[in-house]
Amino acid sequence: MVIYSFYIFDRHTECIYSKLWLPPSAAAAAAPATPATANIVTGDGAGSVTLAPRGGPHNTDRRSVKVKASDDAKLIFGTVFSLRNMVRKLGGDDDAFISYRTGQYKLHYYETASSLRFVMLTDTTTLSMRSVLHQIYINLWVEYVVKNPLAPVEHKGGDGVKNELFELGLDQFVRGLM
Amino acid sequence: MTVFALIIINKAGGLIYNKTFYEAGLNKISTNDYLVLAGTFHGVHAITSRLNPVKNPANRASASAGGMLTRPDPPSGLEVLESENFRLQCFTTLTGVKFLLFTDTTQANVDQTIRRVYDMYSDYVMKNPFYQLEMPIRCDMYDRKLLSYIREINNR
Amino acid sequence: MSHVPTGKPTGKEPAGLRYPTNGKTIYHRPLNRSKTAELSQSSFAYLFSEMVTYAQRRVTGIQELEKRLNNQGHPIGLKLLDLLLIREPARSQTRPLNIISLLQFIKMSLWQHLFGRQADRLEKSSNPDTPDEYMIIDNEPLVNAYISVPREMSQLNCAAYVAGIVEGVCDGAAFPARVTAHSVGGNEDGEMWPGKTVFLLKFQPEVLEREALIASKV
Repeated sequence: MVIYSFYIFDRHTECIYSKLWLPPSAAAAAAPATPATANIVTGDGAGSVTLAPRGGPHNTDRRSVKVKASDDAKLIFGTVFSLRNMVRKLGGDDDAFISYRTGQYKLHYYETASSLRFVMLTDTTTLSMRSVLHQIYINLWVEYVVKNPLAPVEHKGGDGVKNELFELGLDQFVRGLM
Repeated sequence: MTVFALIIINKAGGLIYNKTFYEAGLNKISTNDYLVLAGTFHGVHAITSRLNPVKNPANRASASAGGMLTRPDPPSGLEVLESENFRLQCFTTLTGVKFLLFTDTTQANVDQTIRRVYDMYSDYVMKNPFYQLEMPIRCDMYDRKLLSYIREINNR
Repeated sequence: MSHVPTGKPTGKEPAGLRYPTNGKTIYHRPLNRSKTAELSQSSFAYLFSEMVTYAQRRVTGIQELEKRLNNQGHPIGLKLLDLLLIREPARSQTRPLNIISLLQFIKMSLWQHLFGRQADRLEKSSNPDTPDEYMIIDNEPLVNAYISVPREMSQLNCAAYVAGIVEGVCDGAAFPARVTAHSVGGNEDGEMWPGKTVFLLKFQPEVLEREALIASKV
């Protein structure tokens, strides 16, 4: 089982957290300077573009990866949003969109009662990851973000999500699955 | 095992065929909604093929058998969608026509079913002198063959 | 020192048609010599589809379209009559001389050659007013295998092409007739054979006159 990436969207359709676990070859091809685990917290697209390059030889690479990641996040949100609405329309209001698969990857979707959306991209042979996403919600999100007194109620721009415990826990949990 | 419905979308995203085989399977929606759905799906399908997280490394092509340079397959868009109440299989022909088959979640061998549906399309639609390309499909013969084939599956 | 060509090869044979020693020319066998001598139905379907589309250009009505399809088939019928007769064994190599044997020839030899099976039925009109009408019935004509006629053209039957072939055979055998194709799938056993087609042969009066004359002489 290979997990490529993981995204969280809040109820304002904003991507508040994203993390990529790219296989070494693809990561090397995409961004030679970045470590194998590229960790990007994206705000809205404009925010990440205005990050001024601080000099250094690989800044442009890094930035293009960042821009691409934020574009991807928007596309992913648009896709799951459309598909979720389509599923609701056809399958009834109690129906829920679970996953889709293409020839190259598989996207898993889990929506909480508070309209928080968890999305995970894996390879095509992976079985349903719904319970995994549910566990991430219960064991990591609720424990380390919701119960964290320092985290704000709204995570605008990823506020309060990017804390050490959550990130470490997520990374360990996902690497444990792979 | 039940096949709920079939939708065919032409290469421009227009709905050209839509047939329900099992009334209780999906919500009834108006023809207009079906048209919107076809257009939406067409767009989403294009995006899903772009979202591919695995980039084909350049050296993979040269590593194929016999040292022959082959072009990697273009990324495919959405092929299977699962929800709690149904399963949607999408088959894209080389000419860009999409066949969407809605079945219940336990349906097996949908690949073969959708292939057969495509076979019948190429027989009874494409060989019909009165069918105009890209236009809605109104072919009695196709309706008839399709219905009897799906009925056979649904009664199995 | 004879000028008459003998069976032996002389080195300078007269120009013209040469017969193989067994007397069989290329007309005696199909061009396609594979085991089953089959043709692709798909190729034919695409070709026929284009023929119908071609015939549909600049026509004003269904009558005219059927007439055009009929005209496309007519020369084939004329040629097939010759070809099928030459392939018969020598003793039965005769042109049909009465209506019944002509119809039998069409039902069996012609249909077998064209579609790989015989026509389903032959009928004579039961209406005493039209003794000149005969019917050949095909439950599912091969040419219509993939064709769905749109509702606004429900009168059309693309087997008019086959009707043209039949008409060509009749004309070639000196039984001038008018042949038309009619869909009867909606009738009594329409459920079983939705594409059922009747080829209606209406012979010219002189044919019936001659027929009566022959019958009276025998």
